Amino acid sequence: MAAQAPVKKKRKGILGTLALVAILIGLYWSLIAAPPDAYQGEVQRIMYLHLPSILTAYLSYFLVFIGSGMYLWKREKRDDILAHSAAEIGVLFTALTIIEGSIWGRTTWGVWWTWDARLTLTAILLLIYVGYLMLRSLIEDEDRAAVAGAVLGIIGFLDIPLIHMSVYWWRTLHQPPSILRPDKAPWENVHPTMLTALVISFIGFLLLYFYLLSLRYGLGETRAQIRARRLEQES
Amino acid sequence: MGPWGFVGLAYGIVWGAIVIYLFSLKRRYQDAQTELARVELREVTASNVKT
Repeated sequence: MAAQAPVKKKRKGILGTLALVAILIGLYWSLIAAPPDAYQGEVQRIMYLHLPSILTAYLSYFLVFIGSGMYLWKREKRDDILAHSAAEIGVLFTALTIIEGSIWGRTTWGVWWTWDARLTLTAILLLIYVGYLMLRSLIEDEDRAAVAGAVLGIIGFLDIPLIHMSVYWWRTLHQPPSILRPDKAPWENVHPTMLTALVISFIGFLLLYFYLLSLRYGLGETRAQIRARRLEQES
Repeated sequence: MGPWGFVGLAYGIVWGAIVIYLFSLKRRYQDAQTELARVELREVTASNVKT
């Protein structure tokens, strides 16, 4: 166990460096190499943050869903730590998505916020997982907190298909997907340079996400070790 | 504010928040490691007292 620690630390360092490099390349492509949008002009560059951050948040909640399901099934602490860690980072990326969207909305729609179906459902998603974190911190018994969190983590994930389909099911101000369209491949709908900027940005977000997750998971593991040792000492 | 102002605002908020979260995460991790070392030390001290 002790011999694994330097290896883990080295892996985290490599992941962090790769994330930093990908983010810097992504920034170059997003802010310099990619052309401005024909209709929206320079403001469309917010897309290179907006789409990767919401996709990263979805990935995070998917991991909450998997970790929660596995915890309810097998009751292994590592699954709960994964779910808890992913929920915290998911909240960060969802909040950032809403903020970026709000700035983008102000310039294209003329308002910071509107009760559009997609925006409202995304705000609900954020509230669900803020609730998840609050619920976990309010319940003192660790096992009960983990079970309650797992149930909420699974239920909360059901909001994501609703968010994705909201632009088809309701008349919304938010545009339908440009990239994840069922009828067209991404390269048929988006300029290749813009698509490259988006893909590199997304890779940067993904690497950053897994770096943050590895740090947050390490924190969860350490806290679990402290609790276990304390229980041992008390008994 | 011009278009680049809004772009700068969005990028500044996002990367600023991520950097703050990253540093807070590292600090929390270090605090937890210190706490773990303290608990382990207490354990060793207690077992030494017993023997």
